[in-house]
Amino acid sequence: MTQAMLLLAAGAYALATLMFLLHLLAGKSRFYAQACLGIAALSHAVTLATRVGELGFRGLAPLPEQLSAIAWLAVFVYLLFSPRAPVAVLGALVAPLGWVAVLSAYAFEVGPLPTTSSDNVWLPIHIAPALLGYAVLVLAAFLSLIYLLQESQLKGRPRGSLFRRLPPLETLDHLNHRFVVWGFVLFTLGIVTGAVLAQRTWGSMWSWEPVQIWSLVTWLMYAGLLQARTVGWRGRRAAQLTIASFVFLLASFVTVNLFFPGRHGM
Amino acid sequence: MEAELVVVGVNHRSAPVELRERLAVASPDVGSVLTRLARQPGVDEVMVLSTCNRVEVLSLVRDADRSIEHLFAFFAEQWPQDAPAVTQHLVVFRGREAIRHVFRVAAALDSLIVGEPQILGQIKQAYRDAVQAGTVGVVLHRCLHKAFAVAKRIRSETGIGSKSVSVSSAAVELASKVFETLEDKAALLIGAGTMGQLAARHLLAHGVRSLMVTNRSFHRALEVAREFRGTALPFEELTRFLHVADVVIGSAAAEDFVLGAPAVREALRNRKFRPMFLIDLGVPRNFDPEIRNVDSVYLFDIDDLAAVAQENREARQREAVKAETIVEAEVAAFVRWLRSLQTVPTIVALRERVEAIRRSEVDKLISSLPSTNPELRQALEGMTRRLVNKILHEPITHLKKDSARHHALYVAAARRLFGMDPEEEEGE
Repeated sequence: MTQAMLLLAAGAYALATLMFLLHLLAGKSRFYAQACLGIAALSHAVTLATRVGELGFRGLAPLPEQLSAIAWLAVFVYLLFSPRAPVAVLGALVAPLGWVAVLSAYAFEVGPLPTTSSDNVWLPIHIAPALLGYAVLVLAAFLSLIYLLQESQLKGRPRGSLFRRLPPLETLDHLNHRFVVWGFVLFTLGIVTGAVLAQRTWGSMWSWEPVQIWSLVTWLMYAGLLQARTVGWRGRRAAQLTIASFVFLLASFVTVNLFFPGRHGM
Repeated sequence: MEAELVVVGVNHRSAPVELRERLAVASPDVGSVLTRLARQPGVDEVMVLSTCNRVEVLSLVRDADRSIEHLFAFFAEQWPQDAPAVTQHLVVFRGREAIRHVFRVAAALDSLIVGEPQILGQIKQAYRDAVQAGTVGVVLHRCLHKAFAVAKRIRSETGIGSKSVSVSSAAVELASKVFETLEDKAALLIGAGTMGQLAARHLLAHGVRSLMVTNRSFHRALEVAREFRGTALPFEELTRFLHVADVVIGSAAAEDFVLGAPAVREALRNRKFRPMFLIDLGVPRNFDPEIRNVDSVYLFDIDDLAAVAQENREARQREAVKAETIVEAEVAAFVRWLRSLQTVPTIVALRERVEAIRRSEVDKLISSLPSTNPELRQALEGMTRRLVNKILHEPITHLKKDSARHHALYVAAARRLFGMDPEEEEGE
């Protein structure tokens, strides 16, 4: 049942991606793209809810499941935002992200689950802001990519339908700033609640686990980015720095999960 | 003889501008021209559309062939010195073609720049003039209102008017790809070229908050600033206030660049790297192209703007194809209506014919009687009138009611049965 639902979500994500591309490049209506993405998000949510219902929150611990949850949250936040800030091109990026995440959740079998932290109330309190923070930072990185794309168009001779559909640079920069602020706040919450969780589970708040060190370094990078904005690092430089921080976040996230799981992951 | 819509005139396709501008009807003369047109034989309703791209007479006429000749003669009389040229360049649209032409003109599909917004206002004015002159009847009323509705529908259902096709509106379009809103932005106009002033006007119309003006001649800067309600600033101090401007328009007549990359870099530092939008409308160019390489500065020259405008014009042409489909559907609907309208003359003719028979029979009977009794005559008149009315009541109700389907058939049958078109078959 979950597997079938995953396939449905994958199909809807693929269709949504196509619709967004048609919207951006051929000027077709955005409505169908949004609708497909909505259906995809709904079926995707069902698979996640089923999993959490069966296994508890530790069911989200394996890497593909974490990715799946983050992608879903990113899609969800986009859908919440899109009526007010119609950045359709962002939809064209979150839809394939959802597609990849759903497919990887479908393809990889569930490994052994962490046993230590099964019934702790702090587990969901840690997981929720951490995953949501990742999702928001994904969106911030996407917005930065779009910024760089739009800027390169404006620096050259702007042409074509894509250029017309891209939002103004100022809008992208403002949105990026807001998303980084929120992502940073949530990320911080994730670290703090993680420390509390570690205290409850293992008796010590900070044990220099790889995931903790990487998280701290990434946190510092985002803190630096926000600081740089106050002294006039905006626009292209802010976008580049957002992307750099995100690459760091992604690399640390993946390598920590795959190679240095410690007691955190599996 | 069926009434038919015709358009006779010259437009930008058929006649050169030298001729069109001589034919243009000045607005004080429109009334008298309309009155004289309405007196032409066969002309029932008439209006004149005179713009810089066309001088066209739209008219509802009986006996189109002859009326068109009269209209040709009218053009020749109205502009005697151009008479041979006029008749050579006149174009004619008839019936369905004429309706299509009116709809296309109103929707700016026949304009030099497809989708331009002025024509609708001009055709509305022409309609008002004709209404005032009393030369518009039921058909032109309906035709023009339909044309306005078609234009509105095309504007909302296609992208025909949505893109900027002039250089200065392209500047606004590009600015709105950098800035979220222009409403909190300050603009700076360097120089006093026509293009620059046009661009400044466009930007102000789109909400730019304030305008600074500078010029090598401070006197000229003051003049321009007064016109735009802006602030004049001395050119020598350009670098001191450059950082205040979000938008800079260059339109100075200068041999050298008035703005180089170092000055812009400095300004950007002073404004904490908030983006700047520069348009260079000067020929030769006012801004050093090196400025393009400065971060967060977006510089466009006249060629860039022209390219955007050109691309938008091509996009409009593509939208125009959609618009033509809408026009076709509306023309078909209007033709249907026009056909249904022919009921009225049919009914009138039917009444007249039967009334003639009644009267002649009553007269015959009265004259055959030995004595003329007024009371008897009155009774006969009353009786026959009631008889005729009762007989005609059913067919006339039917003709009036059944105005959509098979209508032409009924009208044709009624005409044939009552012998209303003795010498010709009704043709379509």
